Formats: sequence, C-alpha cells, structure tokens
Amino acid sequence: MTAFCRATTTFKPPLPVRLRRWWTTALILCAVVLLCAFSLLPIAWAFASSLMPLEKVYTYPPAFSLDDPQWSNYGEAVTRLPVARFLVNSLVITLSSVVGAVITSSMAGFALARLRFRWRGALLICVLISMMIPAQVLLIPRFLLYDLLGWVGTYKPLIVPAWLGGGAFNVLLFRQFFRMIPQDYEDAARLDGATTWQTYRLILLPMVKPAIVAAAVLSFVYHWQEFLDPLIYLGDYSKYPISLGLRMYQTQAGTWANLLMAASLIALVPVAIMFFLCDRYVMRGLGVEQTVTRTT
Amino acid sequence: MKRQPRQVWLFVLPFLAGFLFLTLVPMAASLALSFVRTDGNLSLEAVTWVGLEHYRDALEVDGTAALTESDPWYFGVLGGRPADARFYRALYNSLVFTVFTVSLGLCVSLAVALLLNRRARGMSVVRTIVYLPHVLGGVAAVMIWSWLFNPRFGWINQCLRLVYDGLDPLVMWMTGNGTGDWPVPAWLHSPLWCKPAVIIMSIWTMGPAMLVFLAAIRRVPPDLHQAARLDGAGAWARFRSITLPQITPAILFNLVFSCIFSMQAFNESYLLQNSSQRDGLLFYVRYIYETAFESPYRIGYGSALAWILFAILLVVILPLVWTSRKWVHDALSEGSR
Repeated sequence: MTAFCRATTTFKPPLPVRLRRWWTTALILCAVVLLCAFSLLPIAWAFASSLMPLEKVYTYPPAFSLDDPQWSNYGEAVTRLPVARFLVNSLVITLSSVVGAVITSSMAGFALARLRFRWRGALLICVLISMMIPAQVLLIPRFLLYDLLGWVGTYKPLIVPAWLGGGAFNVLLFRQFFRMIPQDYEDAARLDGATTWQTYRLILLPMVKPAIVAAAVLSFVYHWQEFLDPLIYLGDYSKYPISLGLRMYQTQAGTWANLLMAASLIALVPVAIMFFLCDRYVMRGLGVEQTVTRTT
Repeated sequence: MKRQPRQVWLFVLPFLAGFLFLTLVPMAASLALSFVRTDGNLSLEAVTWVGLEHYRDALEVDGTAALTESDPWYFGVLGGRPADARFYRALYNSLVFTVFTVSLGLCVSLAVALLLNRRARGMSVVRTIVYLPHVLGGVAAVMIWSWLFNPRFGWINQCLRLVYDGLDPLVMWMTGNGTGDWPVPAWLHSPLWCKPAVIIMSIWTMGPAMLVFLAAIRRVPPDLHQAARLDGAGAWARFRSITLPQITPAILFNLVFSCIFSMQAFNESYLLQNSSQRDGLLFYVRYIYETAFESPYRIGYGSALAWILFAILLVVILPLVWTSRKWVHDALSEGSR
C-alpha cells in the first residue's frame, strides 16, 4: 500500500500534460497580475500625483518618475480646507450610525430567526420589500418629513434611519447567522430562567461575532461614502462630512490636482484601516470563508 | 415551542417603526405628491391638485415638431420631439449605463470569482485587493478617477499615447502614416466618451458582486465536480453544466441588485458633470435631484419622475423574479433555508 502511494506521488506526467499545466498556471498568473494592477494602479497613481509639485502635475509629456516627493502637500491639503473637521464629522455620523445599525438589525434578525410569532412571515416579506424599493422614491417625502420635524441641517436625518432597522441587508445577515446556532443553547438558557432578552444579549449575540463585525464594517463603508443624503440635509459647511468636503475641494480648488489627490487619499485612510483589520470577518460574514461557530 | 408574543415586539419594534415611517408612509406620500403642484419652495404650502399632469408632461412627445441635427438619435425612435427632452436624455443615459454596467460587471465579476476560486497561496490576498476598490469607493474614488481620465495629463491617456508610440513603427511600415495624429479620447470632456469612462469606474468597484459569486461557487458540492471529472468532462463542460446552474441564485441576486444600484447611480453623474458633456452624464437620479432640490423646487414633478423610474424598475425586475422558478436552481429551498 505504501509503495503504491509513493508510486503515484512521484509519478511524472508526460510532457504535453506538463506543458499544458505550466501554460495554464502562467495564464492564471498573468490574469491575477492584471487584476491586481487594475485594482491598485488608480490608487498608486493618485498617490504619485499627491506627492508632485503642482508644476510637475501639469507638465506635458507627463513624468512617470517620482523624484523629490513633496510630503508637504499633505500638510497643505489639510490646511487649505478644514479636512480634519470634515473627518471628525464623518466619524461622528458614521460611528453613531453603525452602532444603531448593528443593534437594531441584530434584534430584528434574532426575532426573525429564533422567535415564533404570528406575523413572522409577513415581517420577512417587509424586510425584502424594503430592500427592493429604490431610494429615490423615498427621497422627497423623507426630506419633507424631516423638514416637518425640524431636523434638516442636523445630523439626525443621517443617523436616525440607521437606528430604525439598520438596513435590510444587515437584518438578513444576522438572521442567517442566528439560524445556524443549535436550538440547545436557547433551551438551556431558558431552563436557567433567562428571559428572551437575556438569551439574545448574553447567549446568542456573543456567538455571532463574525456577523457583528461584517455588518459593522459594511455599514461603516456605506455611511462613510454617503453623499446624496448629506448633500440634501446639510447646509452649513462646518457640518460637512468628508465626502462633501472633497466636493468642496473640487469646486473651490479645482486646479490643485495634487492637493485634491492628497485629500482624497486622506479620506480613504479610515475605511482602509477598518477593512484590513476586519477583512477576515467580512469574508466569513458574506459566506466566502467557512464560518466556524464556536461550540465551547 | 411556546410562542412569546409580548417580547417579540420589543425586538422588531425599531425595524417596524423604520419600515412604517421611513418606507411605507413616504411611499404613499410620494405617490400623492406626484399628483400635486406646490408653489416651489420645498414646502407643502399652496398645494394644487393636478392629477396625472406631471406624468403627461414627462412622457409626452410632440409628433409634429421637426427634429434638428443636434437632437439625439432616440428622439427619432420616439417619433418626435419630447416635451421634456431632458427627461428622455436622463432616462436614456441611465439605461445605457445600467445595461453596460450590469452586463459587463456581472461577466467580469463571475470570471474573477472563478479565477479566485483556487486553494492557492496568496489567493486571499488577491481577493482582498479586488474587493478593496469597493471599500475605497465613494467620492474620493470618483475624484481619483476624474484625474486619471484627465484628457491631457491623466494617466490613462498617457498610457494610450505610450501604446500609440509603440505601435508607430509598425503602422508606419504598414500604412505609411505614423500614429502621431491618432486621437486620444477626451473622456469626461466628451459627450461620447463620458459614459464609457463612468462604466469603467463602476466596473472597478465590482467587489461585492464578485464575493457573492465566489461564495456561491464555494457552496457547489464538490462531489458533483468529481463525478463529472470521472465521466471525462472538461473544465468548460463542468462550468457550463454544473457551476453555472448551481449558482443561478447568485446570478439572480446580482442581476436584480446591480440593476437597482445602477439605475440609482448619482455620485458620478453629479460630481463629474461639465458643460462639454452636453448632458451626456445626466443620470436619472441627478435629474430628480435637480428637479426637486434645486430652484424652482418642483417637488410634485420630481415625485412623478421617481415613480416613473420605479415603474421601469418593476418592469425590468418582476419578469426576472417571476421566471426565476424556471431558471434558478432550487430557488424555493434556498429561500426557506
């Protein structure tokens, strides 16, 4: 038996097969390199532009080389417009939205997955409907509603919706994860006298950490990039998030391409950090990687 | 299991409140608004009922008006000059953008997912890199791309010129004329090329669709592939008869949501507009925004426009969902899983 195994592992395929395999590998490698280039080169080019002095940005034919990087561009980019202020505003809006989205969507997901009640099927359909309705149908009436409440010009229209349901996608994500937990945990908790809220908060919620992180990261990205809502609801530019701040850069400092690139890259840093820290959880949350439900 | 009627409402209350006050009521309000005219200062004073007038204003085509050279070709299809030419321009632009973004985006993301579905070292890094543009998307990415597409100093046209220079001797030898006078596209400064530019931008952020495909491909039972391999099926045959039918739920999901998202595209259109595009980038949602939130604040007309778009989306998406039982693998058990 061992001899047989050794024979198969050291077996060398005939030359045409080996050539074809080599050829396939080379092809795949080329495709992967092209793909990475397509994804990364725009960022790399923006980075290169952000380090050039202005006269070099606007020379023709353009120079690809990057000698004498102007790191001072970054300092200038953040002082020409209050970029730090915009970043803080963005963080305030985004973080408070993310907390609300995770809390309320995990609650709804928990109810849909683990609780039995008469309208559960109808509720699930409501979740699906709210996913399908295009946002622009709601744009104008929501504005009028917030106007009526006196919320226009504040952060409330940007944050409160996240606390009311937290997005249908997140609800479905949590539902999926809560469903995978064996019924025994819930039964044991109930035998020990836990209420439904305690079962949710103390037993089941700690078991769906990948879903929590995935929902948090995805909501973070979504709210960080939000542009149309702040554009409609915020008038005072000291309240602008970074997305509107960059728009100001474009209109008010249009000819400063190097500074615009520097400011854009600064705007990307928080999401990039967030994503690289949590990449693994996001992939698990979306079902790309195997999920390991902890059973200890 | 015992029903827990009282505490359930605690858990679903936030979602239900949001669904009621931020979705259902606004939907009804939006429909009602589309039948009225307001006096034009973003408030609900001085409302007059106009019935279906807004819908007629938007859709009406004047068959007697002669078309001029500067009118786009699709006015000919309509059979005359529309009363609201910008409405049809916006609709056309959004539809073209959606058709190309969805078809190209799905093909590319499926191909990438197949490519990345290998247990090789470093593949997870590549996957992260491909997903990164989506994370970095938003206004900052639009700014970066607008600089990349700069006709004179942008990196894309520089690369094109490099390619032209490389081809120069060959073309000179073949035709006698060098590539020196070959044009480079003006991208965002041209009515023709601004749409391809934006389509390329949106394919750059195809990460989510790719991940949905990748997750679906990984859920295909491996024994199906092994059995087919034993029967002598090649890679293409296995993709065609095993992978593709098995991932049809993911295809349906991506199709529906990329249609919805592409029709909702706003940032590119708003941030990259300039006069030399001659409304070539006027997308539908930007038209709604300009109608309702810029002077003279025509809320009623904007609501009617939103409902026309909703109707169009329904016409596109409902047949997809209805026919899905025919072509989507196990859609029912997927849904109840």
